[in-house]
Amino acid sequence: MQSARNYTTTAYLFLAPALILMGIFTFWPVGYNTWLAFHDYAIADGSATWNSFAHFKYIYNEALFHHALKNSLLYLLVVPCIQLAALVMAKLVNNRLPGMTFFRATYYIPVITAISVAGVAWAFVYKYDGMLNGFLGWAGHALGLLASPQAHIDWLGDPGIAIYAVMGFTFWKGLGYYMVLYLAGLQAIPAEVEEAAILDGANVWERFWRITVPMVKPTILLCTLLSTIGAMKAFQEVIVLSRGQADTYTALYYVYDQAFRNYNFGRAAAAGLVVTFFCMLLAIVQFRFFGEKR
Amino acid sequence: MPSRKHVHAMLHTGAHYTSLILFALFTTFPFIWALSSGLSGDASHMYLFPDGFWPHEATLDWFARVFREMPFTTYLKNSTILAFFTIAGVVAVSVLAGYPLARMKFPGRGLVFVAIIATMMLPSEVGIVPNFITLKHFGDAAAALQGTLGLGPDWNLREWIGLNSYFGAIVPNVAGAFGIFLMKQAFEQIPQDLIDAARVDGANEMQILWKVMVPVTGPSIAALAIFTLVSAWNDYLWPSLVMNSKEKMPLAVGVFNDLTGPFATSDNILMAAIVLTVIPVLVFFAFTQRYFISGMDGAVK
Repeated sequence: MQSARNYTTTAYLFLAPALILMGIFTFWPVGYNTWLAFHDYAIADGSATWNSFAHFKYIYNEALFHHALKNSLLYLLVVPCIQLAALVMAKLVNNRLPGMTFFRATYYIPVITAISVAGVAWAFVYKYDGMLNGFLGWAGHALGLLASPQAHIDWLGDPGIAIYAVMGFTFWKGLGYYMVLYLAGLQAIPAEVEEAAILDGANVWERFWRITVPMVKPTILLCTLLSTIGAMKAFQEVIVLSRGQADTYTALYYVYDQAFRNYNFGRAAAAGLVVTFFCMLLAIVQFRFFGEKR
Repeated sequence: MPSRKHVHAMLHTGAHYTSLILFALFTTFPFIWALSSGLSGDASHMYLFPDGFWPHEATLDWFARVFREMPFTTYLKNSTILAFFTIAGVVAVSVLAGYPLARMKFPGRGLVFVAIIATMMLPSEVGIVPNFITLKHFGDAAAALQGTLGLGPDWNLREWIGLNSYFGAIVPNVAGAFGIFLMKQAFEQIPQDLIDAARVDGANEMQILWKVMVPVTGPSIAALAIFTLVSAWNDYLWPSLVMNSKEKMPLAVGVFNDLTGPFATSDNILMAAIVLTVIPVLVFFAFTQRYFISGMDGAVK
């Protein structure tokens, strides 16, 4: 038998690869990012000079960053939509009728496709002469709302619409992920509860709001938190769909743009810190909000 | 004559399946549309609804042209390399780290575990800029080493571990809280008797891990490998920043650049390329979907 002391050495030897890699690529970036935010970084020679909060002052006064933050907050509108739809979806597939495995898998497909490739497909959907306009034109014409079967909406080019179009893509891509989480929550509800409500004559609508929603509340908190942070951090969608044009600049897109197009790593780091701060603030607010109601 | 109750139940089931099908159409229509456009010889119907959703003058020409006009097989090779080594790395690191966290008592265990789990809360995007700089330094160090050793310029050590290297695209994703946590949970389920018996037989810790723990945690390792494969295969942002030569880009980056770049010639060829990129993932998913749907609810409960 080995002594406890030998275990310590063995244990840390086993942990070494994980700790070294996480140290370099996970923990170090947090500290380095904070340090960068207070310095001017020159990418050519890697030199950095203290600049007494210049980056923070700059972004505090910059209209573009304000705009990006405002858009990121606007992006939070996608959270309630995605949560409600995912919960309804999970409710629909949470039974033993035939074909449920097929539907669950189908709903999960957007989650397992690469965001870049799915984004290209959606860019075709949203194009000025794309499929969405084709569909709307067809539907409008069929319903007698439009004279000709053509709709003319510039989904990704109109500054009033583009951000909602990008949100539509986020909605589509994330539904399946939250559906699976809700499914797990729903499966923990005993079937008797719902059966009793049916006997009492509650209709589908009442059962959904009075039984399902209250009973999956912990899952709702988890999912809302995840999707709020996800929405606050949305920017890959913007990269693949609109490249920040037409008023779709989001906060992290600003970070990305400053870092890899302007090569101003210091300013990017400062903006990144501000976004992290907002994410944490939102998380705290949500814990308070849901925590007290329970 | 069916009873009223019976009719009611039928209506209910009908409405249920109608909603299911509507949702299914919503989640799959871009791919169905891409498939039918990729198969269409006649492009004029592509943007018409509902005509765009079935092929006109079906042909496989566009798919053949994807292989001719795009370095599709190069991208495929790169995606495979990246995914393979990411999986190998993640599984090795997670198994090694999960074992002591689950089965050994040593000072600092609680702290190490909390520190690893806490990284789940960090927005991973914060690491992008620092990691980019770190890799640049790695490359510089490698180039300096090359100079010191007096190796010829064709060794190009800079692109072995720095920017534009497979190593650089892989290594930041190798050690992650998710994998370590998953393996720790799996190792905790193994009965202590099994370990004690191996110790009595004189096995050392490495042998216990390799010969006792790993074989019995096969399903967890498989689940970890599958999740890692999908995330590595689909990762866009990090490889797009690290890889700047076309010869090293994975599918998610290379195909995207070609599709949105100046060489995009016709919409149908783009649709065919989208279908070809998505198909490997879908085929894989069809065989492993139970791991996704059930593996995740284990993580929530």
